[in-house]
Amino acid sequence: MRKIIDTMIEKVIFLCGMLSVIFVILIFSFLFIESFAFFRGFNIIKFIAGRYWYPDSEPVSFGIFSLLVGSFLVTLGACLIAVPLSVMTALYISEVVSKNVRDILKSLVELMAAIPSVVIGFIGMIVLVPCVRKLFNIPTGLTAFSGSVMLAFMAIPTIVTISEDAIRSVPRQYKEGALALGATKWQTIRRIVLKTARPGIIAAVMLGIGRVIGETMTVMMVTGNSSRIPHSIFEPVRTMTAVIAAEIGETVSGSMHYKALFSIGLVLFLITFIINFAAELFLGKNKNK
Amino acid sequence: MMKFNPKLSQKLSYLVLFLASTLAIMPVIVIIFIIVKNGMSVISWEFLVSMPKNGMREGGILPAIIGTFVIVMCTIMLTLPTGVCAAVYLNEYARDNTLTRAIKLGIVNLAGVPSVVYGLFGFGIFVMFLKLGVSIISGVLTLSIMELPVIVTTSRNALNSVPYSFREASWALGVGRWQTIRHIVLPNALPGIMTGAVLSIARISGETAPILFTAAAFYAPHLPHSIFDQVMTLPYHLYIISTQIPNMPNNIIFGTALVLLFMILTISFVAIFVRVYFRKHEKW
Amino acid sequence: MVDKIKVEDLSCYYGKKCVLESLNISVVQNEILSIIGPSNSGKTTFLRTLNRMSDLDSIYSRRGDVYLDSASVFDMDMEELRKRIGMLFAMPISFPMSIYENIVYAPKRLGLIFKKSEQDALVEQSLKDAFLWNEVKDRLKSSAMKMSGGQQQRLCIARILAINPEVILFDEPCSGLDPISTARVEESMVELKRKYTIVLVTNNVKQASRVSDRTAFFLMGKIIEIDTTDKLFVSPKKKQTEDYITGRFG
Repeated sequence: MRKIIDTMIEKVIFLCGMLSVIFVILIFSFLFIESFAFFRGFNIIKFIAGRYWYPDSEPVSFGIFSLLVGSFLVTLGACLIAVPLSVMTALYISEVVSKNVRDILKSLVELMAAIPSVVIGFIGMIVLVPCVRKLFNIPTGLTAFSGSVMLAFMAIPTIVTISEDAIRSVPRQYKEGALALGATKWQTIRRIVLKTARPGIIAAVMLGIGRVIGETMTVMMVTGNSSRIPHSIFEPVRTMTAVIAAEIGETVSGSMHYKALFSIGLVLFLITFIINFAAELFLGKNKNK
Repeated sequence: MMKFNPKLSQKLSYLVLFLASTLAIMPVIVIIFIIVKNGMSVISWEFLVSMPKNGMREGGILPAIIGTFVIVMCTIMLTLPTGVCAAVYLNEYARDNTLTRAIKLGIVNLAGVPSVVYGLFGFGIFVMFLKLGVSIISGVLTLSIMELPVIVTTSRNALNSVPYSFREASWALGVGRWQTIRHIVLPNALPGIMTGAVLSIARISGETAPILFTAAAFYAPHLPHSIFDQVMTLPYHLYIISTQIPNMPNNIIFGTALVLLFMILTISFVAIFVRVYFRKHEKW
Repeated sequence: MVDKIKVEDLSCYYGKKCVLESLNISVVQNEILSIIGPSNSGKTTFLRTLNRMSDLDSIYSRRGDVYLDSASVFDMDMEELRKRIGMLFAMPISFPMSIYENIVYAPKRLGLIFKKSEQDALVEQSLKDAFLWNEVKDRLKSSAMKMSGGQQQRLCIARILAINPEVILFDEPCSGLDPISTARVEESMVELKRKYTIVLVTNNVKQASRVSDRTAFFLMGKIIEIDTTDKLFVSPKKKQTEDYITGRFG
């Protein structure tokens, strides 16, 4: 009797395992099918390199180049702000402060990660956007720059947490070796710790980028949603995620517009998948050291 | 770095690190402060338990609170058992071959796919293809699929943290695989699994993009009657009132943000507490 | 003299690498058979093949047969087999639960005992047989992880005795222990031989000479020599055996 029950439980577990595998395949294939249907009716080169996203006008144009630029600009800006701050914070948390302070700071970082993107978008709208407008004296504060600042804030917890793990996994002997030779603690950190933890830190940055590229609500609320190709970071932009979120509800199922949005979804999916995959490789490398 | 006194250079560097950390971590305190300061004034029992009035410019946020609660509970009930079982299968049963490794890698990577892509997928599959419409069930299924890889990944980490030797010792006593998992592996992995689950709850509560076009209602005049109704949820409501409604009184927006933030931070605190508590009592 | 375990023409492989080659060996009822030899000689693989722990390894494969009381172990139910052949690992592995729970764990899972009084009696008997009762009888409910290494190893012995096996395999059971704890474990081994058949894998040549009835010398996956312990240590027939036991290599 006991054996029969055990076998049944094992069957259920096996089923759940298979279920998760099926979902992976399902998501892949669904995005691919819709996108291929789209690319049969619309040239893929025109899709990637086309300058105009006019899904409703005659003739229609589904060029996502401006959206790619928008996503890229916002992400780049966010990285420029978040990466140095995060890596330094990770160093500070793991190498400088005492254990108690470290626990408090890590909890704060975790709280930061938990704040929903709508709340961050809202704060951006209310606090940052007016500031940006006044500070740089531009017609609107809804710019790529505002998006970058708010997204940097969302990338920081990811990068800090994973870099901190990488830095802490540097074997103690490495550090002690350097300290025993008379190096100061800071020299040790700079020469030994940073170098050894580098793959992990790179992985952390990539996962941070993955998070920023996929962020939707915050960019919808603070970047202005203009699908012109921007000339500087102080102009409104539109990202791939924002287009999907803003337009999918209004499309007719099965229309070219609908399929075009799925193709954007596929592009996003592939970008983040590649980034995460690369990050995973770097993390694996860190482990082997 | 210049070739002067290494001690001084260390002091300066630490100062820079300190400033950077402050700059990185301060905003979270500032954001919480701003929201609490501006939102506190509207928080009352009335605000929490009454329906919105006058195009949401007055009244309370009851339907949004209930909607969020329903969606989150249904999602976690669906995804937690499935995810833990899948993790157990992948970690404890599946043979270690190329296929298994590919599946594990695929699942880890799915956890990093943007939530809006899951929304798109859910819209295509549940709302359109299966004709479930914009409804609680569509939203719950979408969120479940989104959260499944996260639960699987955190549970697998928790299972991996239980030493392999415990399993061997149990098998060597003639105890079967499932009994070993049930009585040795799972009890010791439980803190990690629970922490992951609680953090998932926090994440689901704040998600907007996946339910934007699968479950969320702009305004629902009554509470949902069945899983085929649309619902209002807190994050979506916050999005709507802060971007789509002209002349919206700011204090109501802040109040809504405060309720949402309070909910999520409380849940996160629980997760942090669970982990700290069990780490202190870790037995090996 | 009854053969408890009989190994016939056993070869084991990890991937393509042959780690045990055409082994023929028997273990006699109620004896202690020691297996000595340098590392990578296949001792542990041999031991783990007897209770089929090796089957868990995906790259492991084998030819030949092993008989327990003239029934092939490879035809037996895996869990039944491991209940009959207990195994003690190199490192003491107590489960993170109380001493009491550690002992009743397996009997409960296997459905051997149900009543509380039975459990109490079993715990007491097993601990006494493992020479641990006097040290822990007042703190049965405290965590097993708080005990010393030697105590934990004897708890692991008690845990095996609780499922009442026929054969016990010891896989370098004292490699992590101090000399006094080692002496206690050896003492209990000699006691246990009255009721059980014991196979002991050890890196410690002196340990083999102290406790075992017969000793086998393994080298590179082959049995070089097997004889009664007295003979093997006093007048080994092979040069390699003599070199090893006198410490010239290994």
